[in-house]
Amino acid sequence: MGLLDKLTVWLGLKKKEVNVLCLGLDNSGKTTIINQLKPSNQSLFGPLSDDWKHISQTQTQDIVPTIGFNIEKFKSSSLSFTVFDMSGQSRYRNLWEHYYKESHAIIFVIDSGDKLRMVVAKEELDTLLNHQDIRSRRMPVLFFANKSDLRESMSSVKVSQLLCLENIKDKPWHICSSDAVKGDGLQEGVDWLQGTILCVCVCVRTSPQGHLIFGLAVKLTVEVSI
Amino acid sequence: MIKKFDKKDEESGSGSNPFQHLEKSAVLQEARIFNETPINPRRCLHILTKIIYLLNQGEHFGTTEATEAFFAMTRLFQSNDQTLRRMCYLTIKEMANISEDVIIVTSSLTKDMTGKEDVYRGPAIRALCRITDTTMLQAIERYMKQAIVDKVPSVSSSALVSSLHMVRMSYDVVKRWVNEAQEAASSDNIMVQYHALGLLYHLRKNDRLAVSKMLNKFTKSGLKSPFAYCMLIRIASKLLEETEGGHDSPLFDFIESCLRNKHEMVVYEAASAIVHMPNCTARELAPAVSVLQLFCSSPKAALRYAAVRTLNKVAMKHPSAVTACNLDLENLITDSNRSIATLAITTLLKTGSESSVDRLMKQISSFVSEISDEFKVVVVQAISALCQKYPRKHSVMMNFLSNMLRDDVSCGGFEYKRAIVDCIISIIEENPDSKETGLAHLCEFIEDCEHTVLATKILHLLGKEGPRTPSPSKYIRFIFNRVVLESEAVRAAAVSALAKFGAQNDDLLPSVLVLMQRCMMDSDDEVRDRATFYMNVLQQKQKALNAAYVFNGLSVSVPGLEKSLHQYTLEPTEKPFDMKSVPLANTPITEQKTEFAPVATSKLPEKPGPTRQDIYQEQLAGIPEFQGLGPLFKSSEAVQLTEAETEYVVRCVKHTFARHMVFQFDCTNTLNDQLLQKVMVQMEPSEAYDVLHYVPAANLPYSQPGSCYSLVSLPEDDPTAVSCTFSCTLKYLVKDCDPNTGEPDDDGYDDEYVLEDLEVTVADHIQKVLKPNFAAAWDEVGDDFEKEETFALASVRTLEEAVGNIISFLGMQPCERSDKVPENKNSHILFLAGVFRGGHDVLVRSRLALADGVTMQVTVRSSDKTVVDIILASVG
Ligand SMILES: Nc1nc2c(ncn2[C@@H]2O[C@H](COP(=O)(O)OP(=O)(O)OP(=O)(O)O)[C@@H](O)[C@H]2O)c(=O)[nH]1
Ligand SMILES: [Mg+2]
Repeated sequence: MGLLDKLTVWLGLKKKEVNVLCLGLDNSGKTTIINQLKPSNQSLFGPLSDDWKHISQTQTQDIVPTIGFNIEKFKSSSLSFTVFDMSGQSRYRNLWEHYYKESHAIIFVIDSGDKLRMVVAKEELDTLLNHQDIRSRRMPVLFFANKSDLRESMSSVKVSQLLCLENIKDKPWHICSSDAVKGDGLQEGVDWLQGTILCVCVCVRTSPQGHLIFGLAVKLTVEVSI
Repeated sequence: MIKKFDKKDEESGSGSNPFQHLEKSAVLQEARIFNETPINPRRCLHILTKIIYLLNQGEHFGTTEATEAFFAMTRLFQSNDQTLRRMCYLTIKEMANISEDVIIVTSSLTKDMTGKEDVYRGPAIRALCRITDTTMLQAIERYMKQAIVDKVPSVSSSALVSSLHMVRMSYDVVKRWVNEAQEAASSDNIMVQYHALGLLYHLRKNDRLAVSKMLNKFTKSGLKSPFAYCMLIRIASKLLEETEGGHDSPLFDFIESCLRNKHEMVVYEAASAIVHMPNCTARELAPAVSVLQLFCSSPKAALRYAAVRTLNKVAMKHPSAVTACNLDLENLITDSNRSIATLAITTLLKTGSESSVDRLMKQISSFVSEISDEFKVVVVQAISALCQKYPRKHSVMMNFLSNMLRDDVSCGGFEYKRAIVDCIISIIEENPDSKETGLAHLCEFIEDCEHTVLATKILHLLGKEGPRTPSPSKYIRFIFNRVVLESEAVRAAAVSALAKFGAQNDDLLPSVLVLMQRCMMDSDDEVRDRATFYMNVLQQKQKALNAAYVFNGLSVSVPGLEKSLHQYTLEPTEKPFDMKSVPLANTPITEQKTEFAPVATSKLPEKPGPTRQDIYQEQLAGIPEFQGLGPLFKSSEAVQLTEAETEYVVRCVKHTFARHMVFQFDCTNTLNDQLLQKVMVQMEPSEAYDVLHYVPAANLPYSQPGSCYSLVSLPEDDPTAVSCTFSCTLKYLVKDCDPNTGEPDDDGYDDEYVLEDLEVTVADHIQKVLKPNFAAAWDEVGDDFEKEETFALASVRTLEEAVGNIISFLGMQPCERSDKVPENKNSHILFLAGVFRGGHDVLVRSRLALADGVTMQVTVRSSDKTVVDIILASVG
């Protein structure tokens, strides 16, 4: 990073970029969540040209399952997030791992109305957490117990029990219940994520044998924002 | 390091290519920076360029490394750098087939294709369609439909062209986009309109009616795009060609009207379409030719080139029409563009008079060394055509050709050399006077010829023709030089050629034997074997032996021989191997071809694969009823026993064995509401032929061909009864069925259908065999059973007709090119060779004289008396 870049960061003009992976089973609401977090507009695929306006109307009801991934960006008060919104369909889940190494945090979305597939979600989560690129890293994991608006949906406590989240010892994690369509609960999650990422950096700085995740630039950001 | 491109770079100046010494592993190592945050677009761009460069140089990427690089590249989608993004699209397309899981970018591309940035949209569509398969296509279908009618031309064009590519893969899905394509076809943008028309045509091209409706519509409403017009012209002329009708159709009128279009492109396309049409009348041709004539004097080189190239192509077909342009063509002879000049000269050579030949040849000699191989081939082809037209000019041509051969020893590719050699060979064959000069030129050529195929071809020709020239000894040196200097294949061919000189010329025999002796010490097995074999044959000094083993080789099918020998080794027996048990090659090796095959499509000689007959042999052997019939002797061409468009279509192939015939009936049921079962053809012979067995086809569903067979024994007691007429009836059980599901009723009823009569003729009992040296074969068979008779062919008007009739009636192979009757002759001798069922050689010499009809004196020789009688009886 050049001197000028360091300077802008130090001055708080440019926010530190973090890569976040958004995972979870298909239909759990990942794309809807990321869409809500994005600035300004509500469309699926970024700003729409006029030609596409009428399509987008049908789209909000009839959201398209992601194939592969989408990259979206949004900012919180002191971080700039680049989110890899992955496809949750079973045949694409094995593609997640290509993006583990370079990610700094994970958002894991659960459809809290889908009791039937809760075990599947747990299995995928376990596989994820045991993956060699994830296992030994202190990566924050944010869980959204999504679709809390559904009548038959389970509480976030219930979800965390079913997923045995209390067993996660080596990573900071947090679960919020959310309603992605209305946007409820999303901000709480993002605030936690930002705080934890910054805190992990501070901890890393103080821990003698822990490895640096973000290096100098972020430390500066932290000091500025504190 | 990539060595293979060094040469090119040396030529184009030093080190101008920054990618010259790229190493794949280093580049892939660098590609790791794709994973870094933040992204450095400039560096990433450079690395992607390197990857694409390597891919385009043919560098092989393993699946694992390709996939790793691909996934790293996908991270670059987070950058909004436009150039980088577009480079990603290119990379996706390049890697679509070598990386795994490329569908990972589907959503990202869909997002770009529907997004705000127009520069992304078109390329994203193209990339998306490359990574999409049929199942995935459904998911992006609505975006494609929308993109086709997008108001941004680049987006619409991209979608249309991508759809066209996907027609092959997912016709049924793309078919649903017709309405959108239709809308795009009325676009104001010329490219969009053109691409839309292309897609519409490809969606409908298998439905003639739909195509002609579409043509009708567009020719009426008119189009804006000249590209689209060109395409319409092509479609229209294809349709015209298929209808085979006259040219007084609206389609022709349309093409004709395009000659007056304001775009040169369209005018040229129309003219080219007209002059390429089969059966064009002079009146129809005239306006097209005058347009081309006009182009000949255009200031635009591209137009001149197009015009002269087209005229060159049709010069042989419509010489008189092209002659009208001679003056304009003369002006192009000195065109500064050598390609145009070459085409002009070769066109004039095709159409010009005999007197202008020398002048034109001189002109072309002045710059022949400056033109590319491709155009040199054009020149050679023109010369070849010229030789056929003006045989007296052969010495000029021959000289020119030999100069071309000589000047281009070091340069000039295989196709070019092959064209010259073929041309010389055809001149030799057409003009006996030119034989010695031609052979001398070829001898000189093989002294320094790196093409094995050409060297062996010429050696074969020398062996065939050399011994029959007045001074055969002068060729020996050239041939023997090959034995000393060349590769195995050429050495072996040289040995075979030498042997022919020894066999034909008694005074050369001692020296040939000495040379053979030397060849027997060759380091190569094949060369040694051949030498030893010929040595032993030649030492016998027997004409018959020479004829059978030196001049005229084996006429059996090679795969058949292999199989028979293998079988023989599996079943040990005291009896010697019987050559007669081997099926004959049913397509005799033709004599040196003189026609010019289009150069590009010519192939190097292939290893003999199984022939049609070998395939039949295997199929028939799989049917238990036909066990023990012995080897298949001959299979006829298929004979139609029904009209082309009837309820049931039946064709018959006649298979001849030593004492039996098997008739194979290939039947097709064209009624979609019927299922036929137990299908067989009942046969009633007119002679003492016995139908031994019927093998029915169990099921004959709609449009799926099936075969049934009849086994017939040939009359033992009357071997001369070679012809017979069978009346045939198709018998079967009909089950009506649902046309949609094909589900048949439970019950059926018997029915029958009368077919046309089937003839067995003498030709079914004779297999063609080529005897390269007929005289030697004639001596070999000898006159033990010779018979001669004279016939009058009253209804025949010309010698050609007589020759054609005899050949097709007897089904024998014409030898020594005697099927070609020289012009203006009133007598001719036809030599025919074959093998009769049972393995007896049969030769026919037929002297024909033209006088008020044709008189024919037929002499037949065979190793079997009955065969001679059969042939004469059947002719009479
Ligand atoms: N009722 C309700 N519906 C939701 C909520 N979040 C998302 N949905 C709906 O759930 C469906 C699936 O949402 P997506 O965002 O496409 O799910 P996804 O996880 O991205 O799915 P994949 O891309 O296939 O992995 C859509 O129809 C959304 O409208 C929610 O909080 N409440
Ligand atoms: Mg999604």
